[in-house]
Order: sequence, then structure tokens, then C-alpha cells
Amino acid sequence: MILRRTLLFDEHVRSAAKLVDFGGFEMPLSYPEGTIAEHLACRRAAAVFDVSHLGTVRVEGEDAFDRLQAMLSNDLRKIGPGRAQYTHLLNDEGGVLDDIIVWWVSPGRFDVMPNASNTERVLERLGGTDVTDTRAVLAVQGPTAREVVARISPEAAAVKRFHVGTFRFEGADCLVAGTGYTGEDGLECAVGPKGAVGLWRALVDAGAKPAGLGARDTLRLEAGLPLHGHELGPGINPLEAGLGWVVGWDKDHFAGRDALAAIRAGGGPSRHLVGLLTDGRRPPREGDRVLEADGDEIGAVTSGNFSPVLGRGIALGFVPASTREGAPLRVELRGGAVPARVVRPPFFRLDPDGADT
Amino acid sequence: MDVPEELRYTSDHEWARTEEGRIRIGITDFAQDALGDVVFVELPAAGTAVEKGGPLGEVESTKSVSQIYAPVGGTVVEVNGDLAEAPEKLNEEPYGSGWLVVIDPSDASELDGLLDAAAYRASTE
Repeated sequence: MILRRTLLFDEHVRSAAKLVDFGGFEMPLSYPEGTIAEHLACRRAAAVFDVSHLGTVRVEGEDAFDRLQAMLSNDLRKIGPGRAQYTHLLNDEGGVLDDIIVWWVSPGRFDVMPNASNTERVLERLGGTDVTDTRAVLAVQGPTAREVVARISPEAAAVKRFHVGTFRFEGADCLVAGTGYTGEDGLECAVGPKGAVGLWRALVDAGAKPAGLGARDTLRLEAGLPLHGHELGPGINPLEAGLGWVVGWDKDHFAGRDALAAIRAGGGPSRHLVGLLTDGRRPPREGDRVLEADGDEIGAVTSGNFSPVLGRGIALGFVPASTREGAPLRVELRGGAVPARVVRPPFFRLDPDGADT
Repeated sequence: MDVPEELRYTSDHEWARTEEGRIRIGITDFAQDALGDVVFVELPAAGTAVEKGGPLGEVESTKSVSQIYAPVGGTVVEVNGDLAEAPEKLNEEPYGSGWLVVIDPSDASELDGLLDAAAYRASTE
């Protein structure tokens, strides 16, 4: 299979990035300083990610609102033009076919952003046009992200969280949204072929450290954010994943609504997604068994890694809905079972000194 | 990529250095670069007997888990305890402070079967 490349590919090669196949794209995994340095730069200052592999499906026209409203789980009536919304595309069983950010650009135009490998699936269900190859998307994230962006475009830097706006860069019209996937404040900028490399370099020169998919994954995990294919998928519904707020119950219909309503009427899901803080540095990994203190298996890790901020292992996983915060569990790592405590993410906001299990 | 001339190597990317009859062992610069940021290292306790080619420990990075194999058989006589809290030494100085263990070999001639620097370098190209 021939891997697709983003508009910034040559720039990544010039920066000596390690490249990896992700969702059919050849993407930077890390730059020479490495994943942990990139991760910490994003937590302490600012990092810039090439997230052009995310799809953009443009849905336009007078019926665009109704089409999305009938298909996606969240309720677009909560927002309006110039806003962004996190939402799900569900199957008839209520399982998550994809989790999506919708940029409501203008009254009759929506830029729907699926995960890279789900873009085709979303296009089939929603219609619209796949414009992924016409733009790069640069995510600037971190406590100083807005200062970095302000050096290039004050109007872009002023776009608030979950708002969508426009700005000019080198004579081209660009879109910007106050969205991201790191747990930090930040902005995501969509820019066409002419300005993509220039904007990347300008952001790096303004102080954002280039960061790859390795840091993107440790950052989202440390923030407790779900990743499709791990915490979300066709066999997992949003109620189990703790994302009931993406379900637009006030809507009469959307794909999966009947199944979710039945689950809710039956007392809610039997399992739920929790954060697990493990003893020691050894990273939990997907598939590791989660055990009760007395040894019974009650669930499994869906994502796990080392938390650079806490200096210990963290994980997300499904356990019975009766399992409460603070519960002392164990996770079976390769070297044997280690104590683990149920915590409420984001992990990076937990007090590292008070975090001992 | 750094491949010191005086060391011997395995095709699994371990290095071995003879020190007064004992063998110091680590992973190569190539290996640490391929692993990415190392966050955890599991090593046997001093006194453990190991076989040539048998498991010696595990190195975990933010992206993967890798087995380490013993380049020679013998008894582990020293373990790099600093790696428990500072596994990043494997990335920073794979041939220096990032060493893993010292083995007292049961048959020092096993070293002769390992790769020299030129052969190891060729195997990674």
C-alpha cells in the first residue's frame, strides 16, 4: 500500500523525524529530541503537531444542518455558526463508528473532522466532499500556545475554546478552531498548500516545539481522552465511555438513539471506562488484565503508558460500572500484577505526591 | 550511528565488553534510537544464572517492549541499579552509564562467536 503524505512531509524529513504509518499516512512519530521532551514542551510551553491526517469532510448546502443533525449523536442546536462541537457517529447498536469534531464554519458549511482511518466511513454516511488533501492542519497546543500564535496572527490567537474563526496568512485564507487533543489550551489551524510550510516554520520560529504522534498519544492518554480503536469503537457505546454529554437526548432521532435509550432505561451500561494509576514506572499496555484486589479479573486495559508528568504508569480501561473511584485494583503487567487505583483523569492534574496507591 | 570498534555485538543489538575476564553488557546506539525514549528497564538480580541467547531482561519505551538476550552465558555479578530511576541513561549513553549488567562468563570463548563492529554495522544497514 502506498502511504499518503501530508503537505508538511518534506518538512518532517528535513527535521530528521522518525516516520511511521498511521491511518494510511506516513507521519512523524517523533523528532530527534524524543517523545518525552516533546510531551513536556506541550505541558510547560507549546508544541506544534501536524494533524493533517485527520479527515476533513465538507458538508454544505441548505440541508447540511439537517443531514448532520439526523446522523450525529450530539445536538448542533447547542452551538451555532463559528463554533465547534465534539460528537459521535453511532451504529444502530449505539456503538461508536467514529468520534468527530465538527467545525461549523458558516451557516451552510460544516467541516467534519473524522479520524484518519474512518474518513471513508464517515463520508459514506454523511455525504459531502472529502477535502483532506487540500489542506494541512497544524495543532498548536500548550499553556503558551496562544502567545505563539499571536506572534503570527493576533486574530487567530483570539479564537476561544471550541470557537471557529478565520485569519490571513501570506495572503491566503485560513481556518482556526480552539480545539485540540492534549488536555491543554490551544488552536488548530487549517491552511492550504501555499501557506502550509510557511505557517509550520513560523510557528516553530515563534517558539512551538515540533511534536509527533508519540507525544500526541502520551498527551491524550495523560489527559484521559479516548482514542478510537481503543476506548471507542463499534462495540463500545458513548455511555460506557463516560461520554453521555455527546448524546443529544433532546433530538427525536439520530443513528443509535433507540439502542442508547434502551440501555439508559435498563439502568445504564454494565461497564464503564476509568483511569488507573499503577505503582512504579512500568507502562501498562493495551490488553493487560485488570484484577480485583483478591485476584478476580474484572476488566482490561484499553490504553496504557508511562506518564511523563507523574513519572509512573497510567492506563484507561473498562471495569464493572459498580467500580468506584479510589478502588484498589491490580493490573497484570508483564512482570506480574502491580497495585492500581481507580482515579478520575486528567492524570496530569493529579497531585504526584498524593498519588501513591 | 555510534558503533565502537573495541566492542563485540549480537544481531539482537546487544554489545559486550571484556573487562578483566568479565563481560559488561548493554544495548547499542542503534537499538536505543529504534526504541525511542526508554521509561522502564527490568534486569535480573545479581547471582542469576543466564544462558547464551537466553532472556536477560526487558526494555520498555513509550512505544514498545523489547527483550534483551544474553550475549554469553554465565552468572550476573553486577546490575546497573541507576536505571531503575533513570532509564533515560540508555538513550543518553548506551555504551557508558546506560550499561545493563556484568556477567562472569562460564565459557569466555562464546565471545568469539559475536559480531565485530564492522559486521554489526553492516547488519544494521
